Amino acid sequence: MEPTQLESKQHLTTRRGFIAAFGFGGVALYGAWAAYGASPLPFTHASGGHAAHGTAPAKAPAGHSGHGADPLMTPDEFLRRHEAFLARFRTPDGRVVVPAAAAPEDAHADHGAPQPHATHGTPTPPPAQSHAEHAPQPADGEPLDIYLHAFRFGFTPDEMHLRAGQPYRFRMLASDVSHGASLQLGHASRIVRLRANVVSEQTITFHRPGRVLVYCTVFCGPAHDAMSGRIVVA
Amino acid sequence: MSTTSTTMTSPRAPQTPLSRFATLQTADRLLCGVLIALSLFALALGIAYGVAMALVRSGLLAPAPDTGYRVLTLHGTTAFFYWLYTAQAATVLLLAAAEKKGALALRGLAWAGTALIAAGFVLSELAAIAGPPLLYEANPELGTDDPRTVAGMTGGYLLLAAGFALIALSSIATVLATRRQADGGLSALGFGLLAWAGFLIVSAVAAVNAFLPGLLWASGFGAFPHAATTDWHILFHNLHYLPLMATVLVWYALAQDLTGISPATGTAFSKIVFASYLVFVPPTSLYHMFLEPGLPESVRVAGSLLSLFVSVPTLIAFLIVVASLEIHTRAGGEGGMRARLRRLPWDNPAMANMGVAILTMLIGLAFAFVLIQEKLAPLLSDTMFVPGYFHFFAVGTVTQSFIAMLAMAVPAVSGRPLWRPRLLCVMPWIVLAGLLLFGAGGLGAGLMGVPRRVVDIGYGGEAPAIWRPFMAMVGIGGVLFASALAVSVFGVLRSLVPGRRGLAAAAEPHVAAARSAAAPAAAAWTGPLAVVLLVAAMYGATIGAFELMQSLPVTAAGGGAH
Ligand SMILES: [Cu+2]
Repeated sequence: MEPTQLESKQHLTTRRGFIAAFGFGGVALYGAWAAYGASPLPFTHASGGHAAHGTAPAKAPAGHSGHGADPLMTPDEFLRRHEAFLARFRTPDGRVVVPAAAAPEDAHADHGAPQPHATHGTPTPPPAQSHAEHAPQPADGEPLDIYLHAFRFGFTPDEMHLRAGQPYRFRMLASDVSHGASLQLGHASRIVRLRANVVSEQTITFHRPGRVLVYCTVFCGPAHDAMSGRIVVA
Repeated sequence: MSTTSTTMTSPRAPQTPLSRFATLQTADRLLCGVLIALSLFALALGIAYGVAMALVRSGLLAPAPDTGYRVLTLHGTTAFFYWLYTAQAATVLLLAAAEKKGALALRGLAWAGTALIAAGFVLSELAAIAGPPLLYEANPELGTDDPRTVAGMTGGYLLLAAGFALIALSSIATVLATRRQADGGLSALGFGLLAWAGFLIVSAVAAVNAFLPGLLWASGFGAFPHAATTDWHILFHNLHYLPLMATVLVWYALAQDLTGISPATGTAFSKIVFASYLVFVPPTSLYHMFLEPGLPESVRVAGSLLSLFVSVPTLIAFLIVVASLEIHTRAGGEGGMRARLRRLPWDNPAMANMGVAILTMLIGLAFAFVLIQEKLAPLLSDTMFVPGYFHFFAVGTVTQSFIAMLAMAVPAVSGRPLWRPRLLCVMPWIVLAGLLLFGAGGLGAGLMGVPRRVVDIGYGGEAPAIWRPFMAMVGIGGVLFASALAVSVFGVLRSLVPGRRGLAAAAEPHVAAARSAAAPAAAAWTGPLAVVLLVAAMYGATIGAFELMQSLPVTAAGGGAH
């Protein structure tokens, strides 16, 4: 037997419909998503001004990532292109310097050049002026291809010199077990997961000079902690 | 103790769910006692590994990396698998027995299940201690050099799954048997127990799907399980929503025991809410995979949308329970919120644990909902943000709700009064304080990119210096909540040792007398108000994460991966 029920003359707040309605309260978060252009339903994309705001270039890249099922390239093909990439951009001291396509004449003035922030240890926020230009600028040139290979327990290249403002198409492969290739960008990170033997691709544009820590965020074995590399953005 | 709680004495009075523990037969009490002891032993061990992990992550302990990851594996295996599943098995069986007011059905099956769980526990622990760290998902990718470890951990999990499935069967048979006794069919709680036990069996099937291929490969009978990651996600979603459903059922039972009134919304409504877990939980599983390479954008978008609904059954149950508690406080006379809050039986450890469990669930939900937005996954997945929020659920909400329930059940099982109830009433508040510190440190660290599964986050001096103080908060908060929780575990275990009266006589649970007269049509605004505050907090957390993400000096296209 159940304890006594309260049935008669219920207050609004104990009525079933009222309680059920409030149970859907969490769904109201959709409003916050819509405000940031990250709402899944089509009608909110119309409110579009926000979508261009920075993070979530939601629509543009969708084409890129839409075809999840068919692989970009085989791991062997990746490794072959990766070797060619290293052969092309590796300097005698072992770093990999990828010039910006838009400014070919600057190609060899990598770091130490007039960017004062490039050589600092942590990515210090740049002067306020560069803040204004965060919004994804349409890249002038084609993105340059980067081949980042993650393995137990490291990355090649483990030091890359790239340019701010230039889009790079990162093609990434974890060739033994799953790894991460996350980017530490000062006050926050961009987390990237790589599944074993699946070539992944992201087009990334750095907007500020600085040093970026590349680190593995998927546990991969005993020396997981030591698995890191760096990108120097000039 | 409390003036609002009186001991049930008359067997003729209407009974609240847990008061029926007094009717448990000796043989059932022995079985339930063994199962409770086994679960609490797993919890105690899980807490010990957790403390070690908190010290390691804060930098206070610097073990060899292998040792660090082994402890992390053991913590997850012990706390997440063996504590949560064994506690569920014990609870579903106890509540089923109480529902029936007679002997358990298929008791032999339940004993066999208990033995299988114990065997699985030993096997998984030994494998995790002896072999390379595979983390608690027993990832076969990491065990290619040492298949024996994969075999041991997956074999242990399969024994565990078989064990709780058998106990779930016994519980189902027991609840179904009540239909023959009762006049009006199943109670709401009985119905909820059937859904829960059914879900446990589904979970066992998911565990077989996730771990059997690994076991076969490791034993030389099958191909390498390349689908292990996907199969793990299916189990994992099930694995962590099921305890939340269990929690809600425990609250539902406890609220009736602590206040003596049953929900104003009635039995049928409660049944619909319990059943709705089966509708709302399975489709919401996609958000764990937002960072998986190869997941199409359309699936990610749909996953975000569906995940918005994951809290619906839990929030409705929360509102029902909070309304019951509030009506109880109004029945003692009007007054301000504080005066009415004080009328709840806070001097009962069950109430204190449940109260804190409800609070931590709201805190956890506010942050959990940041992660269901696929656009934010690249900011927070695989970071300390994840353990930062889920300990609010796993420890604050779920574990403390089971402790609350055991604080009521154990005296009936053992015949011994609860050990130091006043002390046990304080512990949940210390757990809350520790969780707030741990959560603030973990959520903050996660937002700044501290990875969740890295023992040494120094990266040769290249990691941001600000990571350290946040991880120190994680360590201090973790040790604080673990210590307080350990006292609660000790208290319940101590009370489980049969008293002088022994198993022959049961102590009467400390429950409020069921009210025979209907309370006046009281208002219950606390729950709806809490939901409004929760939504505001969700907005704050999500907007904060979006702002942080937009401030990153990088634009990336192509989703989580190709
Ligand atoms: Cu790695």
